Amino acid sequence: MAAILDHQEVGPRRPFLQRALDRLAPSKLMVPGFLLAWSLLVIVPLVVIVLFSFLQVRQFRVVYEPTLATWLSLIDSGRWMAVVRTLRIAITLTILEFLLAFPFALWLAKGCRSKTFKAAVITLLTIPFFLDAASRIIVWRSILGTNGAINTALVWLGVVDQPVEWLLYSEFAVHFGLLGTHFPTMVFPIFMSIALIDDDFIQASSDLGGSPAQTLFNVIVPLALPGIVAGVVFTLVPLMAAFVEPQLLGGGFVDLLGNSVNSALQQLKYPTAAALSTLVILLLGICLAALILVARRRTDIAAMFVAMRR
Amino acid sequence: MSSSTTFADAAPAPRHAPPILEIVNAVHAYDGVVALDNVSVSAAPGEFLTILGESGSGKTTLLRLISGLEKPYRVGTLKLEGVDVREVPAFQRNCTTVFQNYALFPHMSVGANVEYGLKVRGLPPKEREARAREALRLVQLQEMYDRKVHQLSGGQRQRVALARALVPRPAILLLDEPLGALDEKLRVDMQVELMQLHKQLGMTFIYITHSQEEALTMSDRIILMRKGKIEQAGPPAEIFDSPISSFAAKFMGVDNCFEGELDALADGWASVSVGGRRIDGRWTGKAAPKLGSKVAVGMRAEWLQLADTSPEPSTGHNVLDCVAEASIYKGKYLDRTVKTPLGPLKARIWDAASSARNPSFVRWKKGDCIVMNA
Repeated sequence: MAAILDHQEVGPRRPFLQRALDRLAPSKLMVPGFLLAWSLLVIVPLVVIVLFSFLQVRQFRVVYEPTLATWLSLIDSGRWMAVVRTLRIAITLTILEFLLAFPFALWLAKGCRSKTFKAAVITLLTIPFFLDAASRIIVWRSILGTNGAINTALVWLGVVDQPVEWLLYSEFAVHFGLLGTHFPTMVFPIFMSIALIDDDFIQASSDLGGSPAQTLFNVIVPLALPGIVAGVVFTLVPLMAAFVEPQLLGGGFVDLLGNSVNSALQQLKYPTAAALSTLVILLLGICLAALILVARRRTDIAAMFVAMRR
Repeated sequence: MSSSTTFADAAPAPRHAPPILEIVNAVHAYDGVVALDNVSVSAAPGEFLTILGESGSGKTTLLRLISGLEKPYRVGTLKLEGVDVREVPAFQRNCTTVFQNYALFPHMSVGANVEYGLKVRGLPPKEREARAREALRLVQLQEMYDRKVHQLSGGQRQRVALARALVPRPAILLLDEPLGALDEKLRVDMQVELMQLHKQLGMTFIYITHSQEEALTMSDRIILMRKGKIEQAGPPAEIFDSPISSFAAKFMGVDNCFEGELDALADGWASVSVGGRRIDGRWTGKAAPKLGSKVAVGMRAEWLQLADTSPEPSTGHNVLDCVAEASIYKGKYLDRTVKTPLGPLKARIWDAASSARNPSFVRWKKGDCIVMNA
């Protein structure tokens, strides 16, 4: 007994929280715990959604009877057109965002020398997160509309006789609205991964005779690949589910999956919403798998993280 | 030992060919801090030139100026192989760098790293691989072609970096403290290997280091830099034997340095009074100062002799009385500190058994005593 008491008094007593955290540190407890919480919070609802798409609702009550009726109605009602349209717009916009964001991120990470200016730009990029999407997007109506600022200016300058119709309530308007919203999510991961590239690698490339373009494609792009993949994922995924911009700027002409899900929910057609969501998940899965395959053919991302840590 | 006056500012080029590198009056500053202050350097083809200096002396800036990674604020002439390269970007200059931290591309294999310089020049893959394997054989890493960079040890990375810089066959190879991160034993081995490589390839090497031992071992010529200026330039033996200033002397490992007043200076011999004593020595300084002005006196620990009894007076020696102080055993030799009227002196004794146990006199040849600018 005395020995035990002595033993306890040897070290200084650490605070309770620290001891509790120390006990958590071994991966024996933390990793399975995390996996369990993750699957309960994320995976289970997903499975429920998939299962729900095989049920039906009659007189506002769910009938627990497996049926393909919902899926068949998706094809009959032409809602699958929305799927194709969503995929097309999401992929077009992801490519556009990448083409705009990569040079910008490269400049921000390596070209911009003033720290104050860099901080200011990063802050500016977070502004889209300040406001609710709807209140941010609705402003564009008064700019792009037939009586909006742009058309007024164009008519006044005599560039056009009639207000340009396709500026609002069109696919152009939807693309335009989505472009601004999803720019930061593409820029940030790419900016981070380029900022992490040691300047020595870039200098070594040019020292060995690599022109700026060769340095870009042989050194910077491969080393920024983890950030590019992350940027594409963070941009493509929300684009597949976007519904505010298509609703407000599409004016009902541009029906995307997100809108379909939304309207199905409002009509209390839960199985339809579930089936559409399942489709979104499926399509995303295919897109991401393709992305990973392409990226893996270029370089081994896992090995690169090991290498970058040195 | 050169007893004649060596007012050497720059040594004559070892080979009589037009210089492969020529820099005249380079000036550069970072955020208002002067890194290079009117530095002029030239290198002969095939020369092993070492730029020696402390950190912050401007030696790396000088190297980056040559490679083109830094654009000088102002430069009179900057020629590589006789061609003005002041406006030529780094990737079009015919010189490559071995970086201090190697800067091997982490996403490429060893082979791809070594081939990089050929790939960007548009050589076909077969020839690239053959030349890369050849270069890897040169640095004794022929089996490492397919390895990943992060699987290599520090010494191996160093060799890969060397092979990568050699493969494009540059006119000048620039080495930026390439052995700095290696341990002692490896460093000595690599020094020998670099020298052999230099002999074998006949390429011009410009080598940056802060270690006087590395500089002395490898170079044909050393440029000692201090605060963005060239303090002294010349072959290793000359800098070692005849440093022109107390800074150069201390950097080249002269253990005992004192300040005194110049009493006489004639025919390359100087007399100095230090702490009331008269010390005679060789004048190795640059411009001869006025009599009575401050000069520095230096002697290496290994040239001092300790004695129990007063040695016979001789015209060729400086003699001082002393009191023994600390004694540090270093294995191969013994470092003894003695107190003299000048101040503490360090003497290095190689034959510990036969040395004086309780020395009361210290003497050294006047030829082994150097007098230079303070």
